[in-house]
Amino acid sequence: MDDSSTDDDTASQTTEDDPQVPDNQTSAPPPPPPPVLSPPHPPVSTTSVQREKPHYQLRHTLRGHTMSISAVKFSPDGKLLASCGAEKVVKIWSPETGDFLRDLSGHTQGLSDIAWSFDSVYLASASDDTTIRIWDVESGVTYKHLKGHTKWVFCLNYNTASNLLVSGGCDGDVRIWNAARGKCMKTLHAHLDYVTAVHFNRDATLIVSCALDGLIRIWNTSDGQCLKTLAEGHDAICQHVQFSPNSKYILSTAHDSAIRLWDYHSTRCLKTYTGHVNSKYCISACFSVTGGKWIVAGSEDHKTYIWDLQTREIVQVLEGHTDVVVAVATHPIQNMIATGSIDSDLAIRLWTDRGPRPSA
Amino acid sequence: MNESLINPFNLSHPTTVQTSLFAGAQIARFDPTGRFIAAGRAIGSADIWDLETRAPIRWLDGHVRGVTSIDWSRNSRYVLTSSKDWNVLVWDLASACDPPQRHCTIRFDAPVISASFHPRNSQIVLALLSTGEAYLCDLRKTERSRIELVELMEESDDEQGQSTRTRSFMTVARFEPSGKYIFIGTTAGSLLVFNSRTKAMIARHKISGAGIMKGLDFAKSGRRLVTNSSDRTLRQFILPSYAGCEENGLLDQELEPTHRFNDPINKTAWHAMSYSPDGEWLAGGAADPAAHKVYIWDISNDGQFASALDGGREPLLHLHWHPKKSCIASTTNQGSILIWHCPNPERWGAFAGGFEEVDENVEYDEREDEFDIEDEEILFERKMKAEEEEVDIDTLAASSDPNASALVNGNVMDVIGGSTNGTPASTVAVVGIMGDKDPDILWADEEPDGDDPGEWRMRIVMDNEAADYY
Repeated sequence: MDDSSTDDDTASQTTEDDPQVPDNQTSAPPPPPPPVLSPPHPPVSTTSVQREKPHYQLRHTLRGHTMSISAVKFSPDGKLLASCGAEKVVKIWSPETGDFLRDLSGHTQGLSDIAWSFDSVYLASASDDTTIRIWDVESGVTYKHLKGHTKWVFCLNYNTASNLLVSGGCDGDVRIWNAARGKCMKTLHAHLDYVTAVHFNRDATLIVSCALDGLIRIWNTSDGQCLKTLAEGHDAICQHVQFSPNSKYILSTAHDSAIRLWDYHSTRCLKTYTGHVNSKYCISACFSVTGGKWIVAGSEDHKTYIWDLQTREIVQVLEGHTDVVVAVATHPIQNMIATGSIDSDLAIRLWTDRGPRPSA
Repeated sequence: MNESLINPFNLSHPTTVQTSLFAGAQIARFDPTGRFIAAGRAIGSADIWDLETRAPIRWLDGHVRGVTSIDWSRNSRYVLTSSKDWNVLVWDLASACDPPQRHCTIRFDAPVISASFHPRNSQIVLALLSTGEAYLCDLRKTERSRIELVELMEESDDEQGQSTRTRSFMTVARFEPSGKYIFIGTTAGSLLVFNSRTKAMIARHKISGAGIMKGLDFAKSGRRLVTNSSDRTLRQFILPSYAGCEENGLLDQELEPTHRFNDPINKTAWHAMSYSPDGEWLAGGAADPAAHKVYIWDISNDGQFASALDGGREPLLHLHWHPKKSCIASTTNQGSILIWHCPNPERWGAFAGGFEEVDENVEYDEREDEFDIEDEEILFERKMKAEEEEVDIDTLAASSDPNASALVNGNVMDVIGGSTNGTPASTVAVVGIMGDKDPDILWADEEPDGDDPGEWRMRIVMDNEAADYY
């Protein structure tokens, strides 16, 4: 696979320096240059000095959804934001202006997840009508209609080259699709319960999946073999899982109000992020790498939490939503976060970090 | 990067056919990333197949006669096809239009037997014609040229000696992996070495008993070479160092093979051979008229014959080893591409969390404190302490670059192999380290071709009517 780290398939995982990050701490480690291979030694530890903190502020509130929002995703080029919810359409927004651009309509049931192709041209959506549609976002045309799941499709993800699509359904199956043809290539009877998240690693050799049966499984993409199973504790039903931008770790959220970073080679939990509330809903988390290195996740107390990746401290709490924040996404290039909420709120909020406020 | 997870015992060669692609192809070549395969057909077209989806994704239509060879540029952006229609075509897979248009055409005065890109710059093309002549074509603006590579004859005072030694036909021409040298095999059974920059012949190796040279393949490090010749034997050589050959004049040296590979029973000839990426295996495609046979030799084990893979009744035409994996593509005369792999046994233990499979029973020694009930607070504190450790989520580890590690492996192999030869294997390393200063490499890197990793992506083509025919 190619070695660029500047455009991953999921919008929230991109390494790029952002000029908006305040450079007021001289001792902070310089961000690694994005496309080149860095030496394997870790950056200098800065735990002793004061660490930088994010300063996200509400920039836009996007209203238009009439039913609960299930996912928000930035396009890999950062120019568009897609959102979906229970009302059968995908909505496309401009993250820059906060304007609503268009609806992608065609599904006959609510939507659970969306994924962008690497070129930001196509968008795949997973629906409760048991199908997946691949859209040309510009024209709003359905290019492919992927049929095969026997129950609601709950999650999906493109690989970096965007020739493959992986989806997970409520029948416990994980399907691998040839995205260009819209044909199912492989069905993995992966889990015994709702598959709530699927994600490709960088070079698409591995797929990670998690389900309400409490297991996280890692699969070999080429032959569909199960390579590893990670089990969280008894009370920790995992609901969202993804690879880190360099695919060395996986990040999982669970119903014991904890987010965990795993080294999947050694099956060791390296970091636990707590402080938020998550015991009922499928709440996603994501990496933020455009400025400082953060973990961002929604919460059932209507807030969005930002943790420092290394110290695991909560460094900022975003308040504004009036209901559970289930969807969260980070912009691939800028310091921007999109959050989406359910039932009584139904808004998407865009937050940006323009550096610390002038000391007031 | 995940090789250890996917296949922890990856010491093996391919053993069985995984899939066959009905490509109508005579030649099939993996691209350097291993994601694609280019297939050349007798009718003149070439297809690019995506190995992840096992479907063709691009059609390169340009030749009017059979495709004789295919080559990929180092980061897979450009594809070269040579044909019996006297043309060499270069295709740019980064181009926005589909079907892709030809990027450039190089026309010759005779059918082209083979052509290849310079390993460092796809604007330098080596072509071999059916007339037995080899040309080096430089398409760069400042260097634009087409130079015939001419065998240097010894200036002999003896008039008679001159007349008896006629120039021999060139039958095979290849760049060595660093691109500094061009190796050419002749009908006289010798190997000629040219410098790519100066186009001067710097060495001649007579290979006794070989007959007509039919094929060449290099291990990735470039230090080892295997030749195929009309005496139905594959020979492996350790190459000497050519540093200083330009000054010291022509190196005329007979090379003694370290190994000879042949089929002692059937005495079959060979159509093609290919090294595994780590150089530890050699695959030979047998020119058996009634069977599809791939022979595998274990180079790390003194060239011992490892196995003969049987691919059915359709005779083999060509084979190529995957650049990174234990995987071979071989073509049949009916046009199928067989993809050979080494199947991983299903590990059922992987379905259970925290469960390790062991091959044999082991006596389990219980730790002294294994079942002690520890204070939860202490455990928690210990866990918190462990979580202090810094993690790196977004830099790619250098070791994850398979090219780099494969090259390292290749070098290590040659240290072992080269020790018998007396020449220090460090010459390989020198090429790598001093690469920036080497005039040959500087020359090749002038006017880069735009084929850089991460600089381009294969565009997604969604609507492909033609795809439905497959």
